[in-house]
Amino acid sequence: MFSAKIKSEVLREITDVISTLVDEAKFNISPDSLSVRAVDPAHVAMVDMSVDKAAFEEYKADEGELGIDLDKIKEVLRLARSGDVISLDHDEDRNRLVVHVGNITRQMSLVDTAGMSDPKVPNLDLPAKIVLRTNEMRQGIKASESVSDHIALVAHSDGFEMISEGDADTVRLDLPKDLLDELQCKEKVRSLFPLDYFSNMVKAISGTSTLTIHLGNDYPVRMEFTFAGENGRATYLLAPRIESE
Amino acid sequence: MGVNLAGLVTHEVKLLEDFRGKAIAIDAYNALYQFLSIIRQPDGTPLMDRTGRVTSHLSGLFYRTSNILREGVLPVYVFDGAPHPLKRGVLEGRMRVRRRAEKEWKKAVREGDLETARTKAQQTALLTEEMIKSSTELLGLMGVPVAQALQDGEAQASYMASKGDVWGTGSQDYDSLLYGCPRLVKNLAISGRRKLPRRREYVEVNIELIDLKASLENIGINREQLVDMSILMGTDFNDGIRGIGPKRALSLIQEHGDLESVMRAKDIVIEDLEEVRHIFLRPRLTDDYQLEWREPDGEGIIELLCDEFHFSQDRVVSALRRIKVGLLNREQSKLDKWF
Repeated sequence: MFSAKIKSEVLREITDVISTLVDEAKFNISPDSLSVRAVDPAHVAMVDMSVDKAAFEEYKADEGELGIDLDKIKEVLRLARSGDVISLDHDEDRNRLVVHVGNITRQMSLVDTAGMSDPKVPNLDLPAKIVLRTNEMRQGIKASESVSDHIALVAHSDGFEMISEGDADTVRLDLPKDLLDELQCKEKVRSLFPLDYFSNMVKAISGTSTLTIHLGNDYPVRMEFTFAGENGRATYLLAPRIESE
Repeated sequence: MGVNLAGLVTHEVKLLEDFRGKAIAIDAYNALYQFLSIIRQPDGTPLMDRTGRVTSHLSGLFYRTSNILREGVLPVYVFDGAPHPLKRGVLEGRMRVRRRAEKEWKKAVREGDLETARTKAQQTALLTEEMIKSSTELLGLMGVPVAQALQDGEAQASYMASKGDVWGTGSQDYDSLLYGCPRLVKNLAISGRRKLPRRREYVEVNIELIDLKASLENIGINREQLVDMSILMGTDFNDGIRGIGPKRALSLIQEHGDLESVMRAKDIVIEDLEEVRHIFLRPRLTDDYQLEWREPDGEGIIELLCDEFHFSQDRVVSALRRIKVGLLNREQSKLDKWF
């Protein structure tokens, strides 16, 4: 069984974190938390997130899973006003999610989860760790988007850089060590990423103030953050682009 | 045809996407013959445009190559030059098979025996100058590079792989290994479901990677010895000794070391031995090729395939979309690589 009430802002945060990579997701439900692990259709990026019971106004659940079409949740969220509490109840007999927002009730059909397995999380040995303000990063991405379709993340012992090189122009965001919350990096590392994915991921975590980045050389990047008032934790993995000489 | 080394080499099943970002030199004649023989209607009639011109080769080349490009793999097609004089025997033999198959095909169609008709029709495939011309034109429009070999296309493709200009070769033959190609990819252009001849059954054709070094280590001989044992079995350039297959050839070479010693011990003679060895170990090659993959000319492709050869525009447009996806895929790795 699953029955919960949640503030619309919190549901929006949860939805955004996942929907930047997939349209449908399998929510693993347990008495204390709800979690999703999913890989985008192109197998370029992964999200692994969980939200504690405490993020909800009310939460009652047994072990189980719900296949949810995230576009439908977004449609519901469009109906919600700020501060609205949305209720979600699993109608097990008809396998539907009954959603109440304001005076509206939506009977939402669920997605078959039979073909949706939980992907494994690769075990990555990433030598550099950077903790920074999400806002700083957003500026860098904004500056890069008009220049190129990829972005290089570079860490060295003195700081962190984001570099976007286009055919004509180059954009570079320099964050020296003292502007970072934390920096652990012995040797310089650099990996190149698709800017559209990277940008969408960073946009999806609007409610997050700090971000922890684990970086290697031509390796996937791991980004960890909390959301939903520290009650949600998530990890993004993004595969690098192969740099051609 | 080439030498059959299937039982001796080490095959590794692969997915197209495993070759992302890698350049592969495909034996163009080999691929086009595959398309001409496979892409047929149930009674064996090849695909044709409204005026009766065969289009199986263009269909195969376009749709398969767009699948290859979609996964970010970089194909280069290597076309045969003038055949080596020693290959004439094989070519004439194939002409005879073709003429006989033509008759048997027509007979089977008359008798309503579709299974035989299709099998026989497949043996009639003939690659014409016109087809080669339209194929190179299509590849040019697709932004796919083409290389012209002086003689055997597979020799040239193998040379490009040995030099490191491409990662490996793509062919249905094993001759690449004789030419010293480090990596041979089989079924690159024809993977997927395929009908078994004379049976109402389908098999899954997998892409296979054959590594020269691993294969040689596995059977404990070197490349010169591999060439020798192939000559013993027969190649496109010599007949070989009747009754000697891969296993026997291998054990003879393992036992005696080289072909001269086998000939002495077994009292057999192979004509043109040095010449055939020369073909595989020191073929005529060229450095005159350019490996550059460009954006496809969508309009040009539609003009050629739809206006000239009456392809369905919807299918062509959706294949063009796959090529575009490939341009983005080319440089993007997948997370699977780290699982």
